[in-house]
Amino acid sequence: MSLVLKDLKKKFTDQYAVDGINVTVEKGQMFGMLGANGAGKTTSFRMILGLLDPTEGSAEWDGRPVSYDRTNLVGYLPEERGMFPKLTVKDQLIYLMKLKGMKKGDIIQEMRQWLGRFQVEEYENKKMEELSKGNQQKIQFMAAVLHKPELLILDEPFSGLDPVNADMLKDAVLDLQRNGTTIVFSSHQMRNVEELCEDLIMLKRGKAVLQGNLREIKRSYGMKSISVHADYDLGFIQNIPGVLSLEKNKNGATVKVENEAVAEDIFHGITEKGFVRKFEVEEPSLHDIFIDKVGGEANE
Amino acid sequence: MNNLWTTIAHTAGRRIKSKTFVIATALMAAFLIVIINIDNIIDSFAGDSDDGDTASEVAVVDETEAENGVSFGEMLASMEDGTYDYSLYTDGNIDAAIEAAEDGEFEYVLALTGDTSNLQADLFTSGTGFMSGMEINQDVQRAKEAAATAQLDLTDEELAMIFTPVTFNERPINGDGQTEESQMQAYWMVYGLVFAIYLIVITFGTMIATEVATEKSSRVMELIVSSINPVTQMAGKILGIGVAGLVNLLVLAAAAVAGFQLSGDDFLQSLVGDALDLSLIAYALLFIFLGYFLYGGVAAMLGALVSRAEEVNQAIQPLIFIAMIAFFIAIFGLNTPDAPFIQVLSYVPFFTPQLLFLRIGMGTVPGWEIAVIIGILILSAVLINLLAARIYKGGVLMYGKFSFKSGIQQALRLSKKEN
Repeated sequence: MSLVLKDLKKKFTDQYAVDGINVTVEKGQMFGMLGANGAGKTTSFRMILGLLDPTEGSAEWDGRPVSYDRTNLVGYLPEERGMFPKLTVKDQLIYLMKLKGMKKGDIIQEMRQWLGRFQVEEYENKKMEELSKGNQQKIQFMAAVLHKPELLILDEPFSGLDPVNADMLKDAVLDLQRNGTTIVFSSHQMRNVEELCEDLIMLKRGKAVLQGNLREIKRSYGMKSISVHADYDLGFIQNIPGVLSLEKNKNGATVKVENEAVAEDIFHGITEKGFVRKFEVEEPSLHDIFIDKVGGEANE
Repeated sequence: MNNLWTTIAHTAGRRIKSKTFVIATALMAAFLIVIINIDNIIDSFAGDSDDGDTASEVAVVDETEAENGVSFGEMLASMEDGTYDYSLYTDGNIDAAIEAAEDGEFEYVLALTGDTSNLQADLFTSGTGFMSGMEINQDVQRAKEAAATAQLDLTDEELAMIFTPVTFNERPINGDGQTEESQMQAYWMVYGLVFAIYLIVITFGTMIATEVATEKSSRVMELIVSSINPVTQMAGKILGIGVAGLVNLLVLAAAAVAGFQLSGDDFLQSLVGDALDLSLIAYALLFIFLGYFLYGGVAAMLGALVSRAEEVNQAIQPLIFIAMIAFFIAIFGLNTPDAPFIQVLSYVPFFTPQLLFLRIGMGTVPGWEIAVIIGILILSAVLINLLAARIYKGGVLMYGKFSFKSGIQQALRLSKKEN
């Protein structure tokens, strides 16, 4: 069982929203989809779910496209959150989960379990509109997972959550993965992606600009980040060839360089000047890579 | 199939359980019972206030020449009418009588002048009771006729000859035409159905569109259509609202029956009496059903095109205009059911439910023509629902400012079946 996107394309009017992406997500994997707004993440999700028909290529789960006869295998948390504002938590979960083929008794049992886990038992009979935004999001998440889907698609699951609730949700997602759920999610918050996923794709205008295993990407990514702590002015580093940027802070500076060789040049330069309390070459954060790959070119 | 039932149950249940629905239905039912019993209610009030003395006092100022020793005033005073209590006013002239009426002694002052061949009556009223002028005029007329016949000195037989009412019958020209009774019945049924379709389209059409738009604006729609085919969902919505509407109508029908039971009126008896044409009832149900589907499909489509519930009224306006036009044509056509333009327009699907029923109820339509027109209606209802489903499928994923043309184009593009 795996999710396979093959040369997936979707054209709206005269523009490709998704332009030929190839992805394979094995069962039990957690896969991240990154990209700026309008990069084609939601359109890709909609094609995986069968809400949109691909212009070219295919999106298949377990060998065939997701269709309405097996939507019970798929869970979805749309980016635009929304439930029935006037219905109680219980009533809307019953309706939405019945559409996934669950029985009322099972729904209530599962719902109580999840309400307990999220520490919101008291909201069972409250109307959705009376809940805070964070709590609404917990209910929304429940609507995506209550039926124990094989494939779970989470579009920006952590946006708008406070750190406590974000951690709670993160734990839940990791638990689901441990239990064998295949998860595809998108996020703007690179920290979450780094913490959660092993493999990822970075999209820009519908095309993959970066793809693969997160650790390998980081290791092989030329750009490095150097953290220097010293008591004298580090401004001279900027003039060393191969230095991309220099950011001074109260302890010293953070330097971005093209590759490790440049780091050596800097190291020599600094030791000539005097004592350093810290000199560390770090792998770039996903945040840096994202800015480099997507943000930088976006300014063209 | 399961999801269809789930959606129907959800839609209907939510409607029926909503406070608005319960209150509106209860109010309508109460209103219906009151309207049916309005006579009794008014009577009971009238009885209470007058307490046995129900007749209105009329002061008659008689200035006519007495002929044969009996004056008009005396004649009126001796009349036992029940509604008006005439009394001869002899305490002064007309002005004194009006003054007395102003003090509340009388409700009306009637001044009579002239003679039998040229009798003039002036009625002074306080302004309430628009029927009183006509009724008092009849009484004066009767008094005059009595005086005139008395003068002519006619025998009882001669009097009877004059006053026996005519036996008046209406019959259809051709033998198999409708009798007056069934014609009247058809008239009221057509009137009722035309009105019903109009109300159903406006109320339930708006309900369907609002339902769809609300789910879109609360963004729960994307979640729903990831679980259930939008086409199934649309059908479930239309049927679910239909079920809610049916419950509403059943409650109102029950209220009507209860109302007639209370009033003891035999209107219901007369409506479902021997002459009732069962085929007409069957046609009525068929046209309500088909009309609901035709208009409901369009309403669902329009609802899917808007992003916010506030835009529903704007989107659904064209549909309501069509329903209004059909309504007015049908009301106009009640008097000329066989007019050529009614015949032609009855082929137009959006007008068929009203106009074909009008033609069947009020005139004679050949069987083949009924079959053809109903065939066209069914075909177009199916086609319109298929088109609506396509637009619905794309429309539910679409957000932005509402516009018919670009909205429909965009919706068709989104729902495009590729490959």
